[in-house]
Amino acid sequence: MAHEVKIPTVGESITEVTIANWLKKEGDTVKMDEVIAELESDKATFELTAPQAGTLRIFKQKGEVVPIGTTICEIAADGGTAAKSTTPSTTTTPTKSNSMKLTGAIKEMKVPAVGESITEVTISTWLKKEGDYVKLDEVIAEVESDKATFELPAEANGILRIIATEKTTLPIGGLICKIEVAEGEPAAAAPTPTAPPAAATAAGTSYAAGHASPAAAKILDEKGITANQVTGTGVGGRITKEDATKAQPAAKETKPVATPAAAVPVVPGARTERREKMTSLRKTIARRLVAVKNETAMLTTFNEVDMKPVMDLRSKYKDQFKEKHGVGLGFMSFFTKAICVALKDFPAVNASIDKDEIVYHDYCDISIAVSTPRGLVVPVIRNAESLSMAQIESEVVRLATKGRDGKLTIEEMTGGTFSITNGGVFGSMLSTPIINPPQSAILGMHNIVERPVAKNGEVVVRPIMYLALSYDHRIIDGRESVSFLVRVKELLEDPGRLILGV
Amino acid sequence: MNYNVIVIGSGPGGYVAAIRCAQLGMKTAIIEKYSTLGGTCLNVGCIPSKALLDSSEHFHNAMHNFKEHGIDIPEPKANITQMIKRKAGVVKANVDGIAFLMKKNKIDVHTGVGSFVDKNTIRVTAADGKATTLTGEKIIIATGSKPTPLPFAPFDKKRIISSTEALELQEIPKHLIVVGGGVIGMELGSVYARIGSKVTVVEFLDSLIPTMDSTMGKELQKATKKLGMEFYLGHKVTAVENKGAEVVLKAEPKNGGAAIEIKGDYCLVSIGRRPYTEGLGLDKIGIELDRGKIPVDDHLRTKVDNVFAIGDVVRGAMLAHKAEEEGVFVAEQLAGQKPHINHLLIPGVVYTWPEVASVGYTEEQLKEQKRAYKTGSFPYRALGRARASMDLDGVVKVLADQATDEILGVHIIGARAADMIAAGVVAMEYRAAAEDVARMSHAHPTYMEAVKEACLAATANRPIHM
Repeated sequence: MAHEVKIPTVGESITEVTIANWLKKEGDTVKMDEVIAELESDKATFELTAPQAGTLRIFKQKGEVVPIGTTICEIAADGGTAAKSTTPSTTTTPTKSNSMKLTGAIKEMKVPAVGESITEVTISTWLKKEGDYVKLDEVIAEVESDKATFELPAEANGILRIIATEKTTLPIGGLICKIEVAEGEPAAAAPTPTAPPAAATAAGTSYAAGHASPAAAKILDEKGITANQVTGTGVGGRITKEDATKAQPAAKETKPVATPAAAVPVVPGARTERREKMTSLRKTIARRLVAVKNETAMLTTFNEVDMKPVMDLRSKYKDQFKEKHGVGLGFMSFFTKAICVALKDFPAVNASIDKDEIVYHDYCDISIAVSTPRGLVVPVIRNAESLSMAQIESEVVRLATKGRDGKLTIEEMTGGTFSITNGGVFGSMLSTPIINPPQSAILGMHNIVERPVAKNGEVVVRPIMYLALSYDHRIIDGRESVSFLVRVKELLEDPGRLILGV
Repeated sequence: MNYNVIVIGSGPGGYVAAIRCAQLGMKTAIIEKYSTLGGTCLNVGCIPSKALLDSSEHFHNAMHNFKEHGIDIPEPKANITQMIKRKAGVVKANVDGIAFLMKKNKIDVHTGVGSFVDKNTIRVTAADGKATTLTGEKIIIATGSKPTPLPFAPFDKKRIISSTEALELQEIPKHLIVVGGGVIGMELGSVYARIGSKVTVVEFLDSLIPTMDSTMGKELQKATKKLGMEFYLGHKVTAVENKGAEVVLKAEPKNGGAAIEIKGDYCLVSIGRRPYTEGLGLDKIGIELDRGKIPVDDHLRTKVDNVFAIGDVVRGAMLAHKAEEEGVFVAEQLAGQKPHINHLLIPGVVYTWPEVASVGYTEEQLKEQKRAYKTGSFPYRALGRARASMDLDGVVKVLADQATDEILGVHIIGARAADMIAAGVVAMEYRAAAEDVARMSHAHPTYMEAVKEACLAATANRPIHM
């Protein structure tokens, strides 16, 4: 069938173009998307591509000025040669039924840009198998970045061809998979509990790959692992009992390390070791922490807080607070509030360095370090300075819960002008936290211990918490950092100041 | 609560569930209506029928095969009284074994009819009317099934009998009429055919053992015809009447034709079994039956969250080993484990001689699924082992996926088929291909070589010994 080629609309104000050059001659065989001519408008030169493969017939010659929409040539499709180059032979492509037709187009799916600072992602789980039919927008894989796990939706209907296997790390833009674009849907496969239709199996892969033995299936289920998260070492990729026993719930591939040779004297106790690939998150944590140590002038100042006033206030009002606001009154709101007041007084502590400039933030976005099963994450409480105590508490609960469930979004973890970390929950007495760049300071909270202290010339027992402030000495002077911490201490030891702002 | 778990019914489902519960540290009780444990299977089912089958097989060999083997003996006589007595001994040894296992696992046995008071309370009423009340956190119903009577001819237990009475006959029937050519009818029919009864089987469907692969039914008909059994397939029984000294059966071909009348001295009605839930008090906990069965979810849980049901009272094949798997399945679930059962791979067995056993899909099922499959068969006749033992009747049929060669079904009729089918189950649990089995060494000479050869035939039609 012949396809007429018209001058496309190239811009709002352009009404006509000049045919600058024919790159193909009359009667030439052209391929789809091949450039066949150059057109010139008063604003720019552009290329005209062939809309389909075939034989070219030219109507308008070089140098002619033609209005937009004019037919300048025609391409007659000549089945044989052209089709070969664009349509993959259907015989090599497993199709599940006649009701689905492959169009021949291939959609390449690449790692999307998921966030500013993210440069690579790891394919954590394939939810669809090689050769599966996938629908547009259907989630086909879970992808993990150093900040969050997100779902990858199919970008077309068709047959999935996996390029990057599970645990592969790819840069942004890296090729994840291809989809052989199809029209229509495959007919539902016959319900066969033990054997999927043969057509679903890609050549070279056993139909039984990933089939768990009866004992293995039970073990996997009890661990909450699906069979497709385990690599079977049995015949044809079957999952053996041993595979299931060794499988890790987090689906981290474990490689047993060779056990020591028999010559090693026998000592009581197991001496096996385990090697696990570092997750993207862990690798990023490692890289960042070292970078901070190298690239900042970090040091730490300490102080101690008598927690009695805060504790008294809390125990007096915690029931009423809970009743009124529906959230418990913890220490986090006191600390966050006190920090916001102190940050206003010492803006350098809330600032960051951007090349040769110091960026002062007039708002307090407080990052809260939360320990999760996947590692440390740092969600942000935005504009903490304008939040009420109850709003802060509920925000802390919301972010901590999402963190534990691995559901924090990248947005929720991006930014932040100052960080709080609480090692006290694990029993830490004193520590020197590391700055969370590009921030310039971080406050470390610790456990509350009853200690003898001198008050008005007398030794009394008070609940004391040590505070640590690590800061970047490049922009925060000792006077500012120490004064900041003293200010936080004062505010906490006399919470009335928080109201009065004194 | 007295118990973590109370199991109602001590058949192979119930007692296995109880033992597994006890192994997993639960305080367990089991309730049995009859004075002996073991349910239908041990008392009036699998075990006693096999005891009689073996006796009848020995007799049959003595009658017909010893001479050929070079053993000359005076003509043997079947002593049914001794056969029944020996059978009783076998049953006793087995049920005593269960009693021992209960004691060993510290499971309390309560004899009487268990009935729900509420979802945690069971009243046990003994035969003498004395009632005790037990409470349990979890209840497992395993009350099994009973033979289904013909609607127009209830069991009189004298001339019109069920399998239970057929295992207790005091005389060898002259002419035994069997209604229903399924597993039970064929097993007991062949017992009596071998010890000298004339046996006539009337079956409504067009083949014997109709739930199995059709090749099995055909082969079984051939083999049992040699014992003198007669068959009226495709016949609908219209009347069975006890005339005192004899029983008269009337039937008509379901596709039209002349009605027939058969006279015999016993009529065994083996048209199936129905779930047994009488006296269980299911109404007290709001469970309604679905066509006689207790509805359960995939976890064998009833609509009452602490009450489970297993075995013949729930959906699926009425087989002792299916009930056992379900007993273990529920017990492990109660302990927080996540066991699996693949119901497709529960083998079916008919203890005739030759035995019939099968696992997986039948050829008819594959056709219905429009599955591309291939078949491989190998006859016992071509086996050295079968020649030696003169067990020449039989065939192994393997069905495999056309594309992947995965085994989809194994069907065996022949000597020792019941034991051999386990190999099919193992192969299919691991999703073996026919060629996988064909490439595994099978000892020679064995009946199992027929399985290997059938797999070779299924792989690429290349059996060695054919």
